Amino acid sequence: MATTDTATNVGHVTQVIGSTFDVEFSEETLPEIYNAVKIDSEIKGVHIKVTGEVQQHLGGGRVRCVALGSTDGMVRGMDVVDTGQPLAVPVGKATLGRVFNLLGDPIDGRGPVDTDEYWPIHRQPPKLEDLSAKAEVFETGIKVVDLLTPFVRGGKAGLFGGAGLGKTVILTELIARIAREHGGYSVFAGVGERTREGNDLWLEMQEAQIGDTGRSVIDQTCMVFGQMNEPPGARLRVALSALTMAEWFRDTTGADTLLFVDNIFRFSQAGSEVSALLGRMPSAVGYQPTLGTELGELQERITSTKKGAITSVQAVYVPADDPTDPAPATAFSHLDAFIYLERKISEKGIYPAIDPLASSSRILDPQYVGERHYAVARRVQQILQRYRELQDIIAILGVDELSEDDKMVVHRARRIERFLSQPFYVAEVFTAKPGNFTSLEDTIRSFEELCDGKWDHLPESAFMYVGAVEEAEDQAKAMEAAAG
Amino acid sequence: MAKARAIVKRLKAVKNIRKITRTMELIATARFKKAMDRATEAAAYTKKMTEIVADLSRVSLKFSHPLLENREKNENSVLLVLTSNRGLCGGYNASVLREAMVRLRELKVDESKYAVEVSGKRGIAFLKFQKVTMDRQYTHFEDKPSFEEVEEIAERYIDDYVKGRIDRLDVAYTQFESVSRQTAVLETLLPLGSLTGGDETEEDASNIDYEFLPSAQEILEEIVPASFKAQLFKCFLDAAVSEQIARMVAMKGATENADDMTRSLTQQYNRARQTQITSELSEIIGGAAALE
Repeated sequence: MATTDTATNVGHVTQVIGSTFDVEFSEETLPEIYNAVKIDSEIKGVHIKVTGEVQQHLGGGRVRCVALGSTDGMVRGMDVVDTGQPLAVPVGKATLGRVFNLLGDPIDGRGPVDTDEYWPIHRQPPKLEDLSAKAEVFETGIKVVDLLTPFVRGGKAGLFGGAGLGKTVILTELIARIAREHGGYSVFAGVGERTREGNDLWLEMQEAQIGDTGRSVIDQTCMVFGQMNEPPGARLRVALSALTMAEWFRDTTGADTLLFVDNIFRFSQAGSEVSALLGRMPSAVGYQPTLGTELGELQERITSTKKGAITSVQAVYVPADDPTDPAPATAFSHLDAFIYLERKISEKGIYPAIDPLASSSRILDPQYVGERHYAVARRVQQILQRYRELQDIIAILGVDELSEDDKMVVHRARRIERFLSQPFYVAEVFTAKPGNFTSLEDTIRSFEELCDGKWDHLPESAFMYVGAVEEAEDQAKAMEAAAG
Repeated sequence: MAKARAIVKRLKAVKNIRKITRTMELIATARFKKAMDRATEAAAYTKKMTEIVADLSRVSLKFSHPLLENREKNENSVLLVLTSNRGLCGGYNASVLREAMVRLRELKVDESKYAVEVSGKRGIAFLKFQKVTMDRQYTHFEDKPSFEEVEEIAERYIDDYVKGRIDRLDVAYTQFESVSRQTAVLETLLPLGSLTGGDETEEDASNIDYEFLPSAQEILEEIVPASFKAQLFKCFLDAAVSEQIARMVAMKGATENADDMTRSLTQQYNRARQTQITSELSEIIGGAAALE
């Protein structure tokens, strides 16, 4: 066993349990909780280089660590070096345009990062007095989002949905829409999702341009990945690494920073994977008992201060389409805007499959969005709510048995439902339609007119995948021309 | 358990609806038999009556009756719409009202005066919603319309027509063709002559040489109004029997739909319950194992 490090505080591996391992140090020089420890040695010709994070003090000089990399080939007795501080990642403008893993090592093959500044990934959330209390609407150009779940500038938005409902597509679409228009910096955290998706996004960002400046989006973006193939420790900490980089932009440059996380559920899941190995008793549905604390520590740091703002969009996987599952339920309480994707809607072929009744936003309030916007949003929801209530009766007795008022509600609800769909920039290959940006004013006016019954005469299918309501009229004419 | 409980609630509602639809189906089946007997009997009578009038008008060319004359101007029209008092009969009312609305739009374009008369609460409610002003509303025709009641209306029409207060009468109702076929139609009952074209097949009928006693005119005075009354009565009977058939079919479908729904909801409930138990069990076992 050859040790290449000559650092002062060295311990030895005493036990390896899956992705956790125990290390014995001398009682006097016990590393602190969250300190990073490093293993860098060669055994039987295989070079092993793993970073771990101290999680527990077991007594008797032993500490239990979570491995942030693979523990394959690790054996008892290996030398472990205490770095004396938590894991630190490079921050600063040099990180822009680069792709990192959770340790802050670049993985895009463009050599080392040119910065001297490293920040530890475990930090305190901003103080209460430093928080900013602005509530301003963040326009996305997506009709259903702007109308029913307006995003908050400097706030947090969550995309909840089961498997295959298009969370990643909507997130990518938001990056395409926001990052293109956006002047500030963006940070993307890939947490436990497909590596391929990360690669797609990276390539796409290199091609996409910011406005007319001729610079590509990637020049203003830094990406951090800890995808599905990584061990749970990596997936548990990658969100913090990305967040730390975003915090530097917020605190130092004061620019508006965007933080995209796909997928925050994997963070909770990784925590649950290591929790049992750390000897904690499982709690509801097998999650770690510290689920709320872990997520709270992360989410409380994603916030806007007086110095600068972090606007964040997070995808949240909903296991088995059950939003009462503890992981999504815990994430829910941290968000300003809440978007729920519904399988029944995606089955109808309506994308984005956003459930207009389950989704909500903190600022959908006349105080922030204005009386008119609020009134239209509520009317749309009322019509759709009534339609949903009538669904069982329609299924059994048929539409003919409804009263005339209810028939009108059904008639309009079916049109509104379809009008909530919209062509996406990133889905051009699927819909064969160019992406569409609908201004907030157009959105409100279109839905208002739909509720008033001004467009009752158009066929339902004319409302599929259009922008403002006038485009539905054009589509109806085109359909008529094609049929006749 | 929140999800399972919600399913139980829905399941109960669906089962209640099924009880209603199943009962309505049975009632409709019983009433349909009676209504059909009446309709088929009346149909034979009306058919013969129409034939005779048609024959007569063809045989004696000099013959005339105010109800038969075709008027050039159509200034005052009446539209009579026959719908049901009760719902739960599928598309029965909707298709009659669709026919009626077509005629109403025509009348509006012509800008002539017209009156709308409606029988049945369903039709009244619909036209009220469409903001059509109704001149007369009848709600007393149930599944057994009596001849006396219809005659009363018929006499008023005859009187109005003869005196020139109305020039045309259309009836929107559901024609009973057979048990498996009923169609919503719009028929012009007045002037009566417009209806005779229907039985062109009986070519040889015109060859019969009639002898009139006491006189052609006297017979006509009697038979033409009687024929009109019979035809109007037949409309009511057809409507009544069609309503029962429509209800029978609709309720049968509804009961089946409710059954399907009950089945799928029961399945969902069982699954939700099982998931619940499994997760609770695994939590307890996991918790116990962690304590060891």
